[in-house]
Amino acid sequence: MSEQIEAAALIEAVSLFLGEIEPRLHGREAFHAKVAKNALAIVARELAQRPQKAEAAALGGFLGHDAGIDALRSEICGRLRAGQLTPETPGLLEALTAATLAKCAVDNPRYSTFRRLAGQ
Amino acid sequence: MTPSPAAVAEMLARATGGDIGVTRIEALSGGAASATYAVDAQRAGAPWPLILQCAAAGTVSEGGMAKAVQARLQQLAFRHGLPVAEVVAVLAPADGMGEGFVMTRIEGEALAPRWLKGEDFAVARAALTGQCAAVLARLHAIPLGEVADLGLPAGRIAVQRERMFAHYRSFGVHSPVFDLAFAWLAERCGDAEPRALVHGDFRSGNIIVDAGGLAAVLDWELAHLGDPIEDLGWLCCNAWRFGQWQKPVGGFGEREALYEAYAAAGGGPVDRARAHLWEVWGTLRWGLSCLQLGHDHVSGRVPSVERAAIGRRVSEVELDLLHLIRFGGI
Repeated sequence: MSEQIEAAALIEAVSLFLGEIEPRLHGREAFHAKVAKNALAIVARELAQRPQKAEAAALGGFLGHDAGIDALRSEICGRLRAGQLTPETPGLLEALTAATLAKCAVDNPRYSTFRRLAGQ
Repeated sequence: MTPSPAAVAEMLARATGGDIGVTRIEALSGGAASATYAVDAQRAGAPWPLILQCAAAGTVSEGGMAKAVQARLQQLAFRHGLPVAEVVAVLAPADGMGEGFVMTRIEGEALAPRWLKGEDFAVARAALTGQCAAVLARLHAIPLGEVADLGLPAGRIAVQRERMFAHYRSFGVHSPVFDLAFAWLAERCGDAEPRALVHGDFRSGNIIVDAGGLAAVLDWELAHLGDPIEDLGWLCCNAWRFGQWQKPVGGFGEREALYEAYAAAGGGPVDRARAHLWEVWGTLRWGLSCLQLGHDHVSGRVPSVERAAIGRRVSEVELDLLHLIRFGGI
């Protein structure tokens, strides 16, 4: 490795620190410490999984060309708004499912609908 | 800031004309818009447990329901025999506490995860689907003439959809799944005139449950005129099942039982496709709330780790929408 302390190690260290102080917190602060640890876990998964690559592959595959993730999302939204794409367009629902599964695998892999759609 | 017992006692004496004491006021966890307090009052020497609900910022934000209107609406529901807390006083400007009202305090559990999972609520959970259906049927039967002077939000369905779409666009976020859901709704929602008084936020988390089931319906500030089936769809959204996703009705019941009990209670037959449409609508509406909360953080309006994290729940909502649209249910 090129760095002794990579981003993932920093995340782990901050998460450990939050765990240390958590027993001394109460009410809203204790709740926010839990939320903060969860947010760090999202960052760790995002760094490890790079979900935007999978999302761009799903959306780009459907549209038939490559582009940045923001441009791909924006193009599909624009074509839905203009009626050029509809919920009945072949392949659209499948592509959006693949793209969104990649996002939710980072945001909350324990979510019930994620598990069902991912076939877990 | 929590109001003083003396100020609340004085206000209650003015509003009720009685001999009132107040010994304790405790701030309860409130939403972003309202501050809620438990008030231990005494009337003619006898304990009188109350709830004081105030606008968090003193006045209700623009577009929100005035507290005085909410009080009148809640009292109307009470007169119709619905399980709601009776309103005992409405704050006046001279009380110096901003907008708000006082209602009776109904005993029971408001925290949904507790009554959805607790052993001692098993009987309550079994009764709840039928009770919710009956309450909604009775609410939706209230003649619109009785609420005509409350100025509740009303609009044709297509106008409501356009308003929601404008709200989505205001965040500048591109969610292909949200746009897909808007397109799906546009194909199906029609453009009917409002035909009933709709609670607008009837769900697990906004009701008080006791050992016998539904004790009180809370949080009337999103009430409006619309399609009554909206309330049935919202109650079934996955976000309000608190993890009990196998039970589509609020984490405690089955859809068919809800629809049949609603019809049996006089609510009329439930068009299953319409109910499904309102589940999609409600799920999308919750998705926009996630965007709003995330936006509160990103815009600097309310910097908060909690709101930032809720912004990342958008992908959960997107998967729910895809599941609903592809497979007809969750």
